[in-house]
Amino acid sequence: MDFELTSEHLSLKESAASFVKKDHSFDRLRDLYKDPLGYSKEAWKKMAELGWMGLIYPEEYGGLGLDFGFVMVLLEEFGKGLLPEPWISNILLGGNLILAGGTEPQKQEILPEIVSGDLMITAAYLEDDGRYDTNFCATSAKRQGDAFTISGKKIFVLDGLSADRFIVTTRTSGSVADTDGITLFMISQGADGVKMTPLKTMDGRNACTLELADVSAPETDIIGELEQGHPVLSGVMDQATAGLCAEMVGGMQAALDITVNYLTERVQFGKPIGTLQTPQHKAADMFIQKELSASSVYYAIASIDEKTVDMASAISSAKAKCSSAYVQIAKAAVQLFGGMGFSNEADIGYFLKRAKVAEILFGDADYHLDRYARLNGY
Amino acid sequence: MKVSYSSDEEKFREEVREWFRVNTPPEVKDQTLGGSSLNHDPMIKWHKTLYEKGWVAPEFPKEFGGAGFSDTEQFIFNYEYSHSGAPRLKTKLVSLGMLAPLLLQFGTKEQQERFIPDMLAGKTIWCQGFSEPNAGSDLASLKLKAVSDGDDFVLNGQKTWTSMADHADWVFMLVRTDSSGRKQQGISFLLVDLTSPGITIRPIEALTDYAPFCEVFFDDVRVPKENLVGKEGEGWKLAGALLQHERLNAFPIGELIYSIDTIRKNAEKNRYRGKPLIEDPGFRKKLAALEVDCNSLLYTFLRILSQLSVGSAPGPEASFLKVYGSELYQRVMDLNIEAMGPCGQSWYNLEALDNSVHQATMGWVNSRSLTIWGGSSEIQRTIIATQVLKLPRK
Repeated sequence: MDFELTSEHLSLKESAASFVKKDHSFDRLRDLYKDPLGYSKEAWKKMAELGWMGLIYPEEYGGLGLDFGFVMVLLEEFGKGLLPEPWISNILLGGNLILAGGTEPQKQEILPEIVSGDLMITAAYLEDDGRYDTNFCATSAKRQGDAFTISGKKIFVLDGLSADRFIVTTRTSGSVADTDGITLFMISQGADGVKMTPLKTMDGRNACTLELADVSAPETDIIGELEQGHPVLSGVMDQATAGLCAEMVGGMQAALDITVNYLTERVQFGKPIGTLQTPQHKAADMFIQKELSASSVYYAIASIDEKTVDMASAISSAKAKCSSAYVQIAKAAVQLFGGMGFSNEADIGYFLKRAKVAEILFGDADYHLDRYARLNGY
Repeated sequence: MKVSYSSDEEKFREEVREWFRVNTPPEVKDQTLGGSSLNHDPMIKWHKTLYEKGWVAPEFPKEFGGAGFSDTEQFIFNYEYSHSGAPRLKTKLVSLGMLAPLLLQFGTKEQQERFIPDMLAGKTIWCQGFSEPNAGSDLASLKLKAVSDGDDFVLNGQKTWTSMADHADWVFMLVRTDSSGRKQQGISFLLVDLTSPGITIRPIEALTDYAPFCEVFFDDVRVPKENLVGKEGEGWKLAGALLQHERLNAFPIGELIYSIDTIRKNAEKNRYRGKPLIEDPGFRKKLAALEVDCNSLLYTFLRILSQLSVGSAPGPEASFLKVYGSELYQRVMDLNIEAMGPCGQSWYNLEALDNSVHQATMGWVNSRSLTIWGGSSEIQRTIIATQVLKLPRK
C-alpha cells in the first residue's frame, strides 16, 4: 500500500504551482469571467510549451507517456487557483477519445496537434432529456453511400466555443437509451449544417449547444469502429471524472486555506472570529471533508494506473464524495466570510461557483451514487 | 502510488479471514454491532482463543508476546477481524490498546514484566479511571486526591464512567498529587489493585439497559508508590500520549464496513411493496451514499498507513478519524434500524424476533455513545481547529 508521490510527481506539482502563481491570479479570473471564452489562448500556448498537453499521451504521438498520478498533481494545482484553461475537456475528453478509440492514422494525425496546443478538441455527448446518461443518444447518423448524415442536438458541450473539432456521440442503431449502437464521429467546427450557440457556465467558463442538421461525415471520421462508441466514451469519461475530482480537491484545499486565513485576521467583538467555536467547528468540518475527498481521489487515481477491478466503482465513489464535499466546503466558506463572502470582491465566491459547476459536470452525486450501486450489484 | 495488495499480503488476508470464519463461536458472532458489549464470560473465552493463536496483540513486537505484524499486516488483520462479525475485545481495549504501549514507553522494566504478560493472557482485566463527576471533557479538572504517606499514596475521591470496573482486577488512573499550580500540573498516573480495601464499585445502567460502566469510590485506599507510572506530576503528559493511542486504535473500520454489509443483507431480506427493500430507489441511494463515505474513510486509513510506512507518524490530524468515523457509524446504525421498518421499535424480543432486529435496535442506541467517549466530537473539532488548522485560541 503506497499513496506516496514520487520525486517526478512532486517536481510537476512544483512547476504547476509556480505557473498558477506567476501566470494566473484571481484578478485575471475576474477579467476572464466577463470574457466569452473564459480563458486565454496565450496561457494555453504556454501550457503547451511546458509539455502539459501530452502528459499522458504516449511518446510516439509527441506526448510524455506519464501515469495518471501526474494528472492528479497537475489538476490539484489548477484547482487551487481555479485556473480556467480547458485542459480537462481537451486532454482528458477530446484527445483521450482519439487515444482510446481512434485508428492509428487518426491518432497520428490528431494527437501531435493537440500536444502542440494548435488543435482544440472536445466531446459532445449530453442531450436534452438525457440528464447525465452517456448512453442517452437521439442524435442519429444514417449511412448514405460512403458517408453518414448526422442530425440531432447536443447540450453543454464543455469548452465548445473554441473547439476546432467535436467528438460527437451518434446513434447508428437501437433505441434512444441503448448502450449498444452508439458510434463516435469527429465533426469540424464550421462544417455545413453545424450550428453552435455559445453558453456561459456559472464559473465563467464556456460551453455551447450544438445543433446538427444533416451534417455529412465520411466513414473515415468514425472514431474507432462503428457502434463501438459507448465503451470507449465510458472509459474516457471515467478518466476525465477522476481528473476533475483531483481539481476539486485542489479547490477544497484552497477554499479551506483562504477561509482559515480570514478567520484568523477578521476581528469582531475585539478578537479574531477564529477564536469562536462555531466558526472553528465549521472549519474543522471543512478540513474533514477535504481529507476524505482527497483519500477517495488518490485511491481512484491509483486504481486507473493499476487497472484494478474496482476502478469504475472507485471513480464513481470519488465523484459522489467530491460533488457533495466541494459544495459543502464552499458554502461553509462563503457563510464564514459573511457579507464579503457574497461579494465578487472577495475570492471565495469563485470557489462556490466552480464547486457548483464541478458538482454537476460529468454527473452529480446522485448520478454517481446510482452508478456506484449498480456497479456493486444492487 | 500503489493500492493493490501483493500476493503475499492477499495470502495473509485469506489466512486471517479463514481463521476467523472457522474459529469465531456462533454465540459471540454478530453480537456487538454499534459497539455493544458482549457478556463477560464469553468475552474472556474469546480473548483466550485469540491469545492461544498468538493474535491477541497483532500490533506488538514478538518479544512482548505480540504477533509482530508489519503495519500493512496489522491493517489487513484488523480489517478482516472486524469484518468477520467476531466481537471486539473489550478486555484488550484499554489494557493492550492503551496501557501496555504507555508502559513500554514510560513504565519501568519491572512494571512491564509484571503487568503486560497477564494482559496478553487475559488473566488480568484492566479498566481506565480518568473521568470524574466534574471532570468529563474537561479532564484536567479532576480532583481525586492522592496524598503521600511513607511508601504509599492514600486515595480519596470518586471516578465515574469506568468501563468494566465491575469485572476488572486493576484500574489505571489519573490522580491529583498536587493542587497548588495550574490544573494540568500535579496530576499523576497510578496503577491500582481493585481488591484494595476502601474501594466501592457501583455499576451504572446505560441506555442499552445493561451496565457497561461503573462509579468507583475511593475511601482511604493505600497504593504503593512503586505503582506510579512516570514521575509524580507527569500524569497529564502521559494521559495525552495514551489518548492518542485511543484515537488511532479505537476505530474498527472493518466493523463499519461489515455493518454496511449487514444493512444490505437486511434490506435484501426485508420487503417493501412486494419487492426487496434494497430495490426501493430512495433506500438504495441512502445505502450507496453511506458506502461512498465509508470508502473515503477506508482510503484515509490506507493513506495514513502509507505515511506510517515511510516513517511519518500521523499527528493531531488523525483526530478527524475519530470524529468522522463515530458520526458515520451513527448514520450507518440509523439506516440499519430504518431497514427494519416497524421492527425498529422492538426492544429485547429475542425469542419472538430475529437476532438482526435486536442487533439493529441495540446498535442504534449504543451508537449514541460513540461521539461522546474518548474525547467528544465537539472536543475533537476544537482540536482540529486549533492544532491542525492553527486557528487562534484567544
